[in-house]
Amino acid sequence: MDKIRRALLGQIAKLTAGAALVPLSSIASAGINDQPPRREGDPEKRYAMLIDLRACIGCQACTVSCHIENEAPLGSFRTIVSQYEVEHEDTGDSATFMLPRLCNHCENPPCVPVCPVQATFQRQDGIVVVDNEVCVGCAYCVQACPYDARFINEYTQTADKCTFCAHRLDVGLLPACVESCVGGARIIGDLRDPESQISRMMKEHYSELMVLKPEMGTAPHVFYLGMDERFVSRPDAKPAIWDVRDQQGEEIGYEFSGH
Amino acid sequence: MNSAVIEVLAPRYGIAWYPWAVQYFFLIAVSYSALLLTVPGLLFGKKNYESLAKVALLVTVSCTLAGPVALLADLHQPLRFWHFYANLTPWSWMSIGSLLLPVYLVLVVAYAWLAWRPAMQAQARGNGWIAKLSGWISLGEWHAPRWMLVATGLGALALSVGIMVYTGAEVAIVKARPLWNTYWLPVMFVLTGVVAAAGLVILINRLMTGNDQEVNEQSLKVIVVTMILSALVAALWVSEGITGFSPSVEQAFASLRGNPEWRAVAIYGLLVGIALTLTAIVTLRRPGWLGRSWIAGLLAVHIGWTFRWMVLMEVQTVAKNTAGYYHYAIEAGSSGLLGIIGTFGLWLAALLIIDILVPWKKSLQASSH
Repeated sequence: MDKIRRALLGQIAKLTAGAALVPLSSIASAGINDQPPRREGDPEKRYAMLIDLRACIGCQACTVSCHIENEAPLGSFRTIVSQYEVEHEDTGDSATFMLPRLCNHCENPPCVPVCPVQATFQRQDGIVVVDNEVCVGCAYCVQACPYDARFINEYTQTADKCTFCAHRLDVGLLPACVESCVGGARIIGDLRDPESQISRMMKEHYSELMVLKPEMGTAPHVFYLGMDERFVSRPDAKPAIWDVRDQQGEEIGYEFSGH
Repeated sequence: MNSAVIEVLAPRYGIAWYPWAVQYFFLIAVSYSALLLTVPGLLFGKKNYESLAKVALLVTVSCTLAGPVALLADLHQPLRFWHFYANLTPWSWMSIGSLLLPVYLVLVVAYAWLAWRPAMQAQARGNGWIAKLSGWISLGEWHAPRWMLVATGLGALALSVGIMVYTGAEVAIVKARPLWNTYWLPVMFVLTGVVAAAGLVILINRLMTGNDQEVNEQSLKVIVVTMILSALVAALWVSEGITGFSPSVEQAFASLRGNPEWRAVAIYGLLVGIALTLTAIVTLRRPGWLGRSWIAGLLAVHIGWTFRWMVLMEVQTVAKNTAGYYHYAIEAGSSGLLGIIGTFGLWLAALLIIDILVPWKKSLQASSH
């Protein structure tokens, strides 16, 4: 990707992050593939997450605690921290870059209108959830999500995803990933409350915030502070290690690129 | 970029749509395309297209019966299919499809039933269990007026347009996969569907009706025209990507840049396309070569099926966020190879059962007038 385009994407990322501060009136449904009305959840709130990448050390504590809290099957993740090794081609200097990924609880979630049975929906507080007793497992939402935030849970055979730990938020607890974050990099809160930590930080760092894949028009509600615009969309990178599993899903070894 | 980036640990995201999806998209496309091929002979009653209509009707009915089973199997919770009807969701293309599909199926079967009924009634007058069964299937001796056939045929055609639109739109609206996100995809599904249907008609014509030369000639002409149109569409898609006219297509190209496997796929697609078009043209022009139309028929079916395999399966191996490409190996079980073979087995079973019960080679209702 050339420099100009990258810079442009970075600008869009910033602008889109800013636009999210203006509360979008819930989009009324009309045409095919438009957002249906939101339901359930507290209409007074709009949950969002701010990830301060300057404080992320890539320890994967969030990955592990989420896995335990939400009992995702082996090899499937509701959140994960992508780790990149960046080497300067001229000087040979290297650095690492950590990028926690999770559902972006978009303002315009492309996974919701595609669902043929209304099993996946957006709550009035912005959280995108799946009713896995209604879900038929068609995996259309998995295809529609630009962030790979969804998967088919092999135990339940239905769509699975990050819910911002709605079951914990609803009883006044923090999501597992936020609770376990060593560096305090993950900040969750209510954007409609001007006094919340997330609202204050978003105001303070307004011009530096970025979101992932702004070109998809999804208006993500996970904001990144300290983001490098080269990582906003699918990074131009080489994979180093793939995990290798046998038919039963047991890990049998690693595969290194270049082998 | 003056820096080299390595993704240290790349999670591998599984395939969400299995080969069942390919089978459904293939069978339903052959179904609506073969339905189109019955129109001149059966609906308009044109004598010189009657033989084509006979074979095409068999193809459309057998594919219409087998296709939805593959679709059902692609659900991870197939027994919950009734949720589609308990939670009508007019804003979802897939939900719209779930309403169109059963109506389409019923209309296609009714259309074929009316077309085959006079011959079935004649067969019912004989002895033996097939005669008895034919009597039950034809529901009595009463005469079904031609307007019933025309009405169900037109209805099925109208619904088939719905199937074309919904199957195409369902995939093409997915912005997250730029390789799908193009207006040309639905068009290409229809065109390659027509190619495959004409190819299958040629093969069935070779295997089951004594290789009628007229059917071969008409089907080859259909193949030539649709292949030329497909080439045009492919060229337009490529030019949209190169010129940046469509940012989404441009992104699609960027996602495959420098990948030797996808380059090989593109070259292979081009070569097979040219091979089929030339084979069809040569077979049409050389006197006495029409008997070997099955070669073009096989190529046509191959193109129709492989296009869907590439679009639906291989595109899923292009990572959305992580580095590299996923490796997809077909499993042996029902979500893989067994599913593919099983679907074709089901189609073959439907075809053979119809062949045993229905005297489909006899005159259709169209010519009884």
